[in-house]
Amino acid sequence: MTENKKSAREALDRLADAFVEDLLRMSDEEILAEFREDHGDPDQHEKELRDLFEESVMIANKQRLAEAKAGVAASHRIRRTPSTPDDITEVRKRLRLIVAAPNEAQQLTLAARNQKESDMSDGDARTLLEDLEELDETTPDDTNNEKP
Amino acid sequence: MEQVAAIRTREEIEEAIRDFSLAKLALLEKAAKYFARYPFEPNDLLQTAYVLALTTRKCPVDVDVVTFLIGIMRSVAHDEGVKPKHRLVTVSIGSADDPEDGTIDPPDPSTSVEDNLIVEERLATIRTSILSLFDEGSPVWYLAEGIMQELTADELRDMLALDKTAYDSMRKLFRRRVDKAYPGGWNHDRE
Repeated sequence: MTENKKSAREALDRLADAFVEDLLRMSDEEILAEFREDHGDPDQHEKELRDLFEESVMIANKQRLAEAKAGVAASHRIRRTPSTPDDITEVRKRLRLIVAAPNEAQQLTLAARNQKESDMSDGDARTLLEDLEELDETTPDDTNNEKP
Repeated sequence: MEQVAAIRTREEIEEAIRDFSLAKLALLEKAAKYFARYPFEPNDLLQTAYVLALTTRKCPVDVDVVTFLIGIMRSVAHDEGVKPKHRLVTVSIGSADDPEDGTIDPPDPSTSVEDNLIVEERLATIRTSILSLFDEGSPVWYLAEGIMQELTADELRDMLALDKTAYDSMRKLFRRRVDKAYPGGWNHDRE
């Protein structure tokens, strides 16, 4: 009969399906008998099979964590873009406004930093503004100089 | 009114698999050996099925988890063959302290035509090799050819003039001969 390469794949797929159908019709005892025949000591091989699953659980957990991090990062990018100005002068101005009238969460952050705005690099100032604005979506306007 | 089937939670699936008897694990291992195609190893296929079962695939509560996992392996193996660009996605375990850890490695879509030809050639060789385990023209050889040609069990029994018991025995003989020739799965050279 004429064979083409595509039919070889299909033939093997049909064979696999047939073999798996046979497995699913077998009793546990029959499967275990074949298992012992194929692997000898079942205890060691059973450990390997169970370890494979536990490794899969770790992989699934890390995959979910990576996806969650990517989601959080994307969310931060979306939130950050409209609120953090490119102009460093504007950044420092907004930072000084928050420092002048911080909410409680912002106070804690500023206390932990323990650094004057004037001593900060541009990068530090930008990062601090992002952190503080996350703690309070609204920043005080220019006319509000009162402390809480 | 159409009812939406309830879906097993990830925790239920994880618990079910942990509670699998050795027989169930052995069945899944054998199924992986049957489904895995070069260049992917059976354990990679089985692990991919486990990961997909715990992440993106949905298992209705009325579907047996073993059957669910076999279905995943079949579909992944089929997709790997039909669309080589959809390679098995792996996630490195690495260090828990590494913030990049667990990053999914995207499949390489640039599989060459030459790669595909190599794979197809190999599959044709495996097919021929499995058939050569039996004397050409023998009943079990016809059984092997018939299964590969998608004949039904009834058609095969009629063709071979076998009752059910004799047919089942011949089928088992066929499968076990192949198992012993390819203990690591069909990706590897015959023993």
